[in-house]
Amino acid sequence: MSRSVGVIRFPGTNCDRDVFEAVQMAGLKAEWLWHLDRFEAKKYRALVLPGGFSFGDYLRAGALAARSPVMDSVREAAKSGTPVLGICNGFQILCESHLLPGALVKNESLRFQDEWVDLTVVNAHKAFGSNLKSGASLKLPIAHGEGRFYASEAELKRLWDSGQVWLTYKHNPNGSLQNIAGVMSDDKNVVALMPHPERAMKAWMGSEDGQIIFKTLESIL
Amino acid sequence: MSLTIEQKLKHYRMSKAEYDRACELVGHPLREIEWPLFSALWSEHCSYKSSKIHLRKFYNKNARVLEAEGENAGVVDLGEGERVAFKMESHNHPSFIEPYQGAATGVGGILRDIFTMGARPIALADYLCFGEPKAPRMEYLVNGVVRGIGGYGNCVGVPTVTGQTNFHSSYNNNILVNAMAVGLFRPNDKVALSKAKGPGNLVVYVGAKTGKDGVHGASMASESFDSDSEKKKPNVQIGDPYFEKLLIESCLEVIQKDLVVAIQDMGAAGLTSSSFEMASKGQVGMEMHLDKVPLRDSSITPEEILLSESQERMLMVVEPAKFAAIQDVFAHWGLDAAVVGHILPERIVRLLWQGEVLIEIDPDILVEHPPKYERAFNPWSWKNRKADQPVADQKNETRWGTPDQASRRFITRQYDQRVGLKTVQDCEFPVALIKLPDSGRGLGIAVGCRPEIMRIDAKLGGYDSIAYPALQMACQGIQALAITDCLNFGNPEKPEIMSEFVASVEAISEMAKALDAPVVSGNVSFYNETLGQNITSTPATGLVGLRSNIEHLKASTFQAEGEQVYLVSLNLIHLHHAWGTDPSQPAQWSGTWDTAKVVKFIEQTRKLAALSKVSSLRAVSSPGVATSLLKMSLAGIGVGQESIHASEKQPNGLYQIIVSGTDLSETLPTIFVGSSVSITEIGQTRKDKACESQKLTYEKAWGKHFENLA
Repeated sequence: MSRSVGVIRFPGTNCDRDVFEAVQMAGLKAEWLWHLDRFEAKKYRALVLPGGFSFGDYLRAGALAARSPVMDSVREAAKSGTPVLGICNGFQILCESHLLPGALVKNESLRFQDEWVDLTVVNAHKAFGSNLKSGASLKLPIAHGEGRFYASEAELKRLWDSGQVWLTYKHNPNGSLQNIAGVMSDDKNVVALMPHPERAMKAWMGSEDGQIIFKTLESIL
Repeated sequence: MSLTIEQKLKHYRMSKAEYDRACELVGHPLREIEWPLFSALWSEHCSYKSSKIHLRKFYNKNARVLEAEGENAGVVDLGEGERVAFKMESHNHPSFIEPYQGAATGVGGILRDIFTMGARPIALADYLCFGEPKAPRMEYLVNGVVRGIGGYGNCVGVPTVTGQTNFHSSYNNNILVNAMAVGLFRPNDKVALSKAKGPGNLVVYVGAKTGKDGVHGASMASESFDSDSEKKKPNVQIGDPYFEKLLIESCLEVIQKDLVVAIQDMGAAGLTSSSFEMASKGQVGMEMHLDKVPLRDSSITPEEILLSESQERMLMVVEPAKFAAIQDVFAHWGLDAAVVGHILPERIVRLLWQGEVLIEIDPDILVEHPPKYERAFNPWSWKNRKADQPVADQKNETRWGTPDQASRRFITRQYDQRVGLKTVQDCEFPVALIKLPDSGRGLGIAVGCRPEIMRIDAKLGGYDSIAYPALQMACQGIQALAITDCLNFGNPEKPEIMSEFVASVEAISEMAKALDAPVVSGNVSFYNETLGQNITSTPATGLVGLRSNIEHLKASTFQAEGEQVYLVSLNLIHLHHAWGTDPSQPAQWSGTWDTAKVVKFIEQTRKLAALSKVSSLRAVSSPGVATSLLKMSLAGIGVGQESIHASEKQPNGLYQIIVSGTDLSETLPTIFVGSSVSITEIGQTRKDKACESQKLTYEKAWGKHFENLA
């Protein structure tokens, strides 16, 4: 039996139902995981941490969610090779969990920004959008107040050198260093982006480019 | 310290006549604990005492209407099992005092009105009126209000999909912040009501703990402003959207699992209004132990518990056998559910504090018998109306780049417009379109009321506050189905204000009836008056409509070169020199209003929108045809500057549309057959370099007016 995609919800996650639906739109089975849940490392085909305001963004965006019980299981799953995707607040949680390098700080505008952005695929991810070629373009929407990617100069250099930069903005919307919109972990199992692929699944939504990110999970059994 | 009656009347914002009426109804001089109850529930805000006799006139029922007045929001049947709950509400006074929290809690409050009925909130809209950009505090207010709406809506995960922002000096000291929420019932979802039932059932308090915030909020909102409004800051509530998100999920879960008998949010006048209203509506009684109310401050008094407007709280009636299941759901979401009382068979509300009875009172006295005022008003006579037709040589300034004609991107960019995966048309479009997930049909949402028309004539403006958004919807092939309103007016004790109120309510109702789009919910905000200056009477409206699918929508900007562009004007009402150099002066107008003719024009426009040969379609907005052409050119394709200049001399019909497409010359007269319209060829679409600089002017204009908000 083919495995489901685990969609992780924290109190305050608000893109959970959207991601669940997007996974289904891509023809895959989705299953809920709650912040208090624990699960076996190889149980899921892939895991997704959706966007929203987990724990109300209190303390720092993602900081409280990163310390939830479910994250111990996410860590083990990632270590055992399960692909993990973080979207928006999910990206923030993964950085706060130290599963991803860098940090996400307030947008340069110091305001929430909702807009469509054009992205360049720098290095394709092996699971999420694995058939994308380096240099390909994606059109996806952003909706965040704290999406400015930040890392030390040495860290940034390392990310570029080791092929961990996933996506960059063509026109930087938020002051992210070196236009970075998405990154991967050292072992490349964990990946995250600030834009919302689940909001770009059909032409009527404004773009279908988000489909690619979920669809390629089919090749994992 | 004991106060004299006069001091108490002032403190509790009641009149002597109201006090006498209250004493007569209870049969004794008001006791300490009774004062705050009467003060809150008999406030204008809670009792609608100045407006009720006129609100009854609203056309509010047809076969689609499942719930109208009396419930937290109106519910309308869309067919195919889908239903929507929606309502609009004001938060003007708190937003002027503390813009971030005022606007945020306005959004929170209107959302609770929706999900308390069991509908999942799927869209927010806002209707904002600010003063002149350079007025004192205005930049601060604009910034705070926009941040507040975004801060709350974004966090709870409900997209803001449309809105309107107006600027005028009459709002310099009294801004308007109206929020509308729309919730969806999917085919098998249950509708929950607020009618308390079943003696012995438990009264359960859920959500945030009670604090001292917002005490006397309802009576504050029922008073005019003076120069020390600043002191009222502690009356403004503080919102926590994170808590609201948990409350949405848990309340929807208990409603859909059929675990609640009745449910109501604690809005204005908090626990007092929810408990008394639930009991009165169900014609039962309620015993409530105030010391069991979860508190965040142990020094809070029973009176403050009753009047607190702490946010994110709900009151439910629950069968004792189902309480354990309720607790499980709320515990899952990390929330408490506390039993604070039970339902009594006799019609009495009994409040206790540490075992001692504070009050026993018939809830109907407070809910059903507040004074009803027939405030003085005059029969309407048209204002600024001229017999003659507009002169031929008038010229409209486009007003391009003024605050009215500046991009709203600064505002809309701060709102999440797509969460929920239903947004087909967002804030960039004249009206919003939401995809209904089960039937695949389109749900249109629009807000209305053009204050500039209200300033010309309040009756004309009342008609227009329905007709114009309905016409905008028609351009997108959407049929208006039902209406909510938020009637923002000045001091109702002044006959000239009350006259405008009555005239516009009558006009709205007439228009609603003619469109068969009932007014199913709403809110009245009086006393929008500061230091004797009243706002422009502003009956904001929110319309929902339906479209059979979300395909083949007409663009609101020109899309392709070489298309014919036509202006279709309904020959009915003409504005004279409407938008000239002095916009503070109301325009004069001529013609005779005819509701049936307007409805016919709207219907014909909707037919036009269904034709495949039409590629773009837009209702002409207030500053006239030339300005609308500029707006339609924002995508880079225009009609050429000479056509724009020529169109500055087009007469200003109140209802006009611009349409582009191919082979329209013979089609248009067929579509508009039987209507008196003028069809004028404006020109042809083409690439025009000037479009780029005009777009830049439009986008940069905001920053010119609000230097610190670019």
